[in-house]
Amino acid sequence: MTDNADRGDLPQATVVPKKHRRVSVVWIIPILAAAIAIGIAVQRILSEGPTITIVFKAAQGIEAGKTFIKYKDVNIGQVSAVQLTDDFSKVKVTAKIAKNAAGLMVEDAQFWVVEPRITLSGVSGLGTLLSGNYIGFEAGQSARKQVAFTGLNEPPPLTQGDSGRMFTLQASKLGSLGIGAPVYYRSLEAGQVIGYRLAPGGKSVNIDIFVKAPYDKYVNTETRFWNASGLDVSIGANGVNVRTESLVSLIAGGMAFDDPPFASDGEPASANAVFTLFADETSAMKQPEAIAQHYVLYFNESLRGLSVGAPVTLLGLQGGEVTEVGLDFDPKTKKVRGRVEIVTYPERLVGRMHGKAVVAGQAVEHSAQKRHAFIQQMFEHFGMRGQLQSGSLLTGQLFVAFDFFPNAKKMKIDWNQEVPELPVVPGTLPNLEEKVGSILTKLDNLQWEKIGSDTRQAIETFNQVLKDADKALVRFDSDLTPEIKSAIEEFRRATASADRMIRNADATLVSPDAPGQQALRNAMQEVARAARSLRVLTDYLERHPEALIRGKTEEKP
Amino acid sequence: MSATGLTAAQAGLVSCETCNLLTQPVHPERPGHCPRCGAELESRRPRSIQYTWALVIAAAICYIPANLLPVMNTTTLGTTEPDTIMGGVVFLYTSGSWPLALVVLIASVMVPIGKLIALTYLLVTVQRGVQGGTRERTRLYRMVEIIGRWSMLDVFVDTFTVALLQLKPLMSVEPGLGVLFFAAVVVLTMLAAETFDPRLIWDSGTRVEK
Repeated sequence: MTDNADRGDLPQATVVPKKHRRVSVVWIIPILAAAIAIGIAVQRILSEGPTITIVFKAAQGIEAGKTFIKYKDVNIGQVSAVQLTDDFSKVKVTAKIAKNAAGLMVEDAQFWVVEPRITLSGVSGLGTLLSGNYIGFEAGQSARKQVAFTGLNEPPPLTQGDSGRMFTLQASKLGSLGIGAPVYYRSLEAGQVIGYRLAPGGKSVNIDIFVKAPYDKYVNTETRFWNASGLDVSIGANGVNVRTESLVSLIAGGMAFDDPPFASDGEPASANAVFTLFADETSAMKQPEAIAQHYVLYFNESLRGLSVGAPVTLLGLQGGEVTEVGLDFDPKTKKVRGRVEIVTYPERLVGRMHGKAVVAGQAVEHSAQKRHAFIQQMFEHFGMRGQLQSGSLLTGQLFVAFDFFPNAKKMKIDWNQEVPELPVVPGTLPNLEEKVGSILTKLDNLQWEKIGSDTRQAIETFNQVLKDADKALVRFDSDLTPEIKSAIEEFRRATASADRMIRNADATLVSPDAPGQQALRNAMQEVARAARSLRVLTDYLERHPEALIRGKTEEKP
Repeated sequence: MSATGLTAAQAGLVSCETCNLLTQPVHPERPGHCPRCGAELESRRPRSIQYTWALVIAAAICYIPANLLPVMNTTTLGTTEPDTIMGGVVFLYTSGSWPLALVVLIASVMVPIGKLIALTYLLVTVQRGVQGGTRERTRLYRMVEIIGRWSMLDVFVDTFTVALLQLKPLMSVEPGLGVLFFAAVVVLTMLAAETFDPRLIWDSGTRVEK
C-alpha cells in the first residue's frame, strides 16, 4: 500500500468494461445446421422426378418401396404405392421416377412386370428369382409426356434397342405360330413373331415379325417367307417328305425365309414391307412361271391317284403340273373320258439345258410359232406321247409323263383350239392291271375238272410205282442182309483192337505217371530253376553293375 | 419454498464451479480465480442463455433431417432399402415386437425431442423470470443432463451394424445421411445442456426473497 503512495504521480489504469458483443459467434452453429438442412432439402426436391401411375391387370410380386422400374437393367424408378383401381378390377401402381429418367415418360412408353418366364422357346427373367419381380420399361418414340400408363400383360417381344426391321406377312391362317415364334434364316434364329392380327377384311391374317440385324439385310424384295412350323410331312408322287426347321419350331412353331435360287438380287426390302407367308418351303421356292402353256389331255383310263398339282414330266424332268382333273364327253365316240388339264413351264426345261441348246431353247420358248413347230415335230415325228405313270406304288399317286413312243401313230396337234390337246397313250400301270386281268381270265378258262382227273390218274400211277419199289426192297433185304451182318461184325472187331492200341499209347505217354511225362516234367523244372537263377543274376547286376569287374562284394546290412 | 435461501450471487459471493469453494469475488464483474483450485471464477456462466438458445435451435433444425433421411441403407441381393428411424419403429411394431419398437421410439425419437422441449422450457422460464417450480425445473435439468448421452446409443448401433454387416454381394449396410444429423442432434443437445447454467433458475426463483 505504501508503494502506491510513492508512485502517486503514475497514471491510474482504467477499467474498461468488457464489451459484450450483442450476438455471439455461437449462432454460427444453428445457421450452419440450417444451411446444410436446407441444402439437402433443396437437392432432394430438385432431384425428385415425376410420379407416374401404371395400371396393371395383376401385380404379381410388386411391393411398394421395394419394386424397381428398370430400363435396360438400370433402375429408373421405384414403386411407392400399390393399390386397386377405383372399380377394383385392376391394380394401380404408383411409382417415383428418377429425375434423369423423367424424359422417358412419354405417351408410348411401355411397362410390364418382369417375372421368371418359361416358355417353349426359352427361359427368361431368371434374375428376378433373386431380386424379386420388377417392372420392365421400354422407351417410346413420342415426344408427348404422360404420367398415367397402362401396363402390358406380356413383356413386349423385343426391345427397341435391338436393331433390325419389322415386316408384315400375309397368311391365310395363323397355324401354330405364336408371339415369340422364331424366324429362321438358314436354320439360324434371325428374328421372331411380334404380333398378329386379322387382316381388315377378315379373310387373312397379318403377322408382324421382327428380323434382327444383321439378318434383316438378307430380306429383300425377292425374299420368300414360309411357315416352318412343326413337322412337315408330305406324301406326293415324289414320295414321302418329312422336314422340320428346328426342334423349337417343331413345338413352338416358326417360320423361315430365304431367297429362291432363281431370284436375281432384289433390292433390300424397306421396313414394314409386306410379304406373303407360304405354307411350306416348296411352295415358297416355286418359281413364278413367266411363260405358262396350257394343254389338255384326254385319257380313257382311270384317273384315280392323279391330283391337281401332280407333276408333269418330260423325259423324267418336271416341266409343269396338273391343273385340273375332270371328265369330258367325247362327241365322236359318245363316250365319257378323263380330261386332264396341265400347265407347262418351258422356262424350267430350258433352264436345264446346256450350251447351244439354251439359245435354241430360248428361241422356242419365246416364239409361239417356233414352239408350235417344235412341239408338232416332237409329237408327229418322234412319237412323243403323254402317259399316266405311277409315281409311287405305295401311294398310288399318278403323274403325267411325256416320253417317246416310236411306235405311236402320227398325229397332228390342233393349235387353233383354245387349249390345245396333246395326244396320249394308255398308261403302263393300267396296262399292268389289264395283263393281270387277262391272266386271271385265262386261269378262269382252264379245264379244272380235266386237270383234276388227270392228276388223279397220275397219282394212281405213282402209287403203283411205289408198290413195285416196295417189292424190290423186300427182295433186296432178304438177299443181302446176312452178308452185311457179318461185315459189320468184322468191323466191330477191328475197332475194338484199335481201341486197345490207343489205350496203351495213352499209358506210356499221357498218364501222369507215364515215364515219358515224368522225364519231361523234370526237364521243365530244371529249365525253370535255371531261369530263376538267371533272374537273380540280372537283378544283382542291375543293382551292382561293377560286380562284373570287381566280383561280388559283401552287401552291407 | 422454505429450502430456498439467498443465492451466492445475491449474497455477493461466488461459488467455484470446480471445487465449490465459496469465495468473495474480487469484483462483481470479474470475480478472479479460486484461491483453492485456481479455476476461473464465474458468478454465472457468461452468455449462457444465448449459447444454449443457439445450440437448441441448431439441434432442432438437425432433428428434422435426422428423422426424414435414412439412417441406414440396407442392400440385400442388389435391392437397396433405405431405413429411417421412424421406418424402423414402424417395422418393429408391424413385425410384432412392440416392446422393442417402444424402446426405439422412446430412445431415438421421444428423448431428443423431449430434451429440446425441456431445454426450451428452461430457457423461456429463466428469461421470463418465472419464479415458481424452481426445484422441479432443477430436477428437469438434471434429467436432461443425465439422459443426454444415452441417445448416442442409436448412433452406436448404427455404426456397429454398418461395420459388421458387410456380406457383399449378398448383403451390406451403408450409413445414411440421417445418422450424421441424428448424432448432431445428440451432441448439440448435450452441449446445450452443458452451456445452460442451472443457477439461473434460482436467480429468478429467489428474486422475491431478496
